[in-house]
Amino acid sequence: MLEHYVTAFSTILLPQNLLAMLMGGLWGIIAGALPGISTSMAVVLSIPFTFGMSPITGFTMLVSVYCGGITGGSITAVLFGIPGEPSAVCTVIEGYSLAKQGHAAHALWVFILASAIGGIFSVFVMMAATPVIANFAMRFGPPEYFALTMLGLSVVSGLSGGSVLKGLISCLFGIFLATIGTDGITGVERFTFGTTILLGGISFVTAMVGLLAVSEVLIEAEQPFQEYKGSARYRGLKEELPTLSEYKENWQTLTKSSVIGTIVGALPGAGATIASFLAYGEAARSSKHPERFGNGAIDGLMATESANNASTGGSMTTLLALGIPGSNTTAMLIAAFMIHGLQPGPLLLTQRPDIVYGIFVAMLLTNIFLVALSVIGVRMFLQLNRLPYSVFSAAIMILCAIGAFGLNNSVDDLYVMFGFGLIGYYMRKFGFPIAPAVLGLVLGNLAELSLRRSLLLSLGNPLILVTRPLSAIMLFFAAVSLIYPLIKQPKALKDVEM
Amino acid sequence: MKRDEIIVNLVIIAFFIFMLINSLKLHEIRRFGEVGSGFWPILILSTATLLSIILLVSTLIKYLNEKKKASVEASISKEALVDLKSRRRKFALSVILLLIYVIIMPWIGFVLSTLIYVLAFILALEERRKYVLIISPVLVTALIVIIFAKFIVIPFPRGVGIFAAFSRLIY
Repeated sequence: MLEHYVTAFSTILLPQNLLAMLMGGLWGIIAGALPGISTSMAVVLSIPFTFGMSPITGFTMLVSVYCGGITGGSITAVLFGIPGEPSAVCTVIEGYSLAKQGHAAHALWVFILASAIGGIFSVFVMMAATPVIANFAMRFGPPEYFALTMLGLSVVSGLSGGSVLKGLISCLFGIFLATIGTDGITGVERFTFGTTILLGGISFVTAMVGLLAVSEVLIEAEQPFQEYKGSARYRGLKEELPTLSEYKENWQTLTKSSVIGTIVGALPGAGATIASFLAYGEAARSSKHPERFGNGAIDGLMATESANNASTGGSMTTLLALGIPGSNTTAMLIAAFMIHGLQPGPLLLTQRPDIVYGIFVAMLLTNIFLVALSVIGVRMFLQLNRLPYSVFSAAIMILCAIGAFGLNNSVDDLYVMFGFGLIGYYMRKFGFPIAPAVLGLVLGNLAELSLRRSLLLSLGNPLILVTRPLSAIMLFFAAVSLIYPLIKQPKALKDVEM
Repeated sequence: MKRDEIIVNLVIIAFFIFMLINSLKLHEIRRFGEVGSGFWPILILSTATLLSIILLVSTLIKYLNEKKKASVEASISKEALVDLKSRRRKFALSVILLLIYVIIMPWIGFVLSTLIYVLAFILALEERRKYVLIISPVLVTALIVIIFAKFIVIPFPRGVGIFAAFSRLIY
């Protein structure tokens, strides 16, 4: 194992990879800080840049965008009270209160360091857990894979905000989309209606670009004209370094939140948003000064920030070890794996250790890099909010078109992107969450193939799914995760789309 | 809003039922002892149809309850109506412009279509500052061409005839 780390470190330290990390981290923070661009959208938009890169350079860039996006989302949350990401909602509550009391710089420092601690903690967990889980997953048969996909899909449908019914319909729509094209087992065309465009199925990237990014620009385009996106002005960074005693006092909160973040991130379907809410809730429950919560509690800010950054390592563990994306953003990364001819899952670790260990090291260095980038760049990132927003929207549209076109160099894909942009727009308008549809599209094929293979194994007896202990347990949790939100939904989650 | 929701629900149900009918045709395609190509789509689409019918019913119940409560529907203020119209216009323009961009790209090439699209789109978003209108389309197009056409070498459409000749001057 050691030799893999040595190779990975020496590869990641190559200038082109460091440059990719720098660019990715910068773009991630910027995108995260701008309210119009979500982390998943930032990853979608950076995919075309990776077309010309080697897989390891490409992934270095993509994971940097991912980690940077989560960090960046909190910058605007602290300074302007605008959550750049849904996962930064609790950061607004505590961080912005601190900023209003004149401690903006202090809040920034606290969140930057807490983010790094959460992120780095989760990377170490990922390094330790991925080989173990992948090894374990080698024993998974088709029924276990089916149960695992069902678990992921039910968690995301149940928890993605709004009504569970709409989440489920959105998820089933995504699964249906995955059936379009030639059937892998019988070779029959399904739902192509005689067209050649749909013969190969709907490409993930094209559909995601439409659903996530184009629809978001269309929603933003409707808003009244704004010269700039940022409304408030930044008041200057005073020297307000947090003291060591603050960290000593709150080390328990930090550790607990990092653990919560990593575990929640690793659950298929639950991402940074849920992680930060849970950690924040737990910190409020166990705090020595619960009265400070809502008025700039340092421990609250630390909890939410370390948890949402820790979720990145957790999500990546599930992605690398099982091939199951934990969130919208990691679903995008699955698409990136496929573009480079790789299939994430337990076999990847043995077939391409260079990629897996490369990603470990890249994520570790990115988290350290991000501290430096955030400290140096805060001032600059805030100026970005003064760019003309209309031009930004236009540039995002062009990047979407390039992402869709560049995949197969085909204009047909642009029409597919356009169609999905409209679908995504109406889904958002009528409260259907996008995340379940995206995960349904990505996991649909795996779910179908593993179900059909299971039934082949059992000669058509569906009981095989519940007689094998592991798959029975996972299906049980899948059912619970759908029923639980119907009974009791965390209040804050209701208003937030994951 | 509730009325729109009901219409959308009906469209969703129609879509799922249409696809379900199509998937029934696939059901026979299978080998002995296997579930066929139609099995999974039928399972998914029938569940989806069922759930969307439940959604429709619950929306209808809410709609009727609300109607009972507020028999006189609150009239929409004039400003809100103007705002709604402006929103719809901007949305329609954005959609049409994107479609035109996709349609004309293979004919006039990536560079020209992008230049025109950026200008048209920011105009549609009500950008009226002259320096932004003049500088940004050129700047955005130039940056994109340098990064994606020159550096990453994505073979963007060059257009036909004179447009192709123009595109070749650039990439």
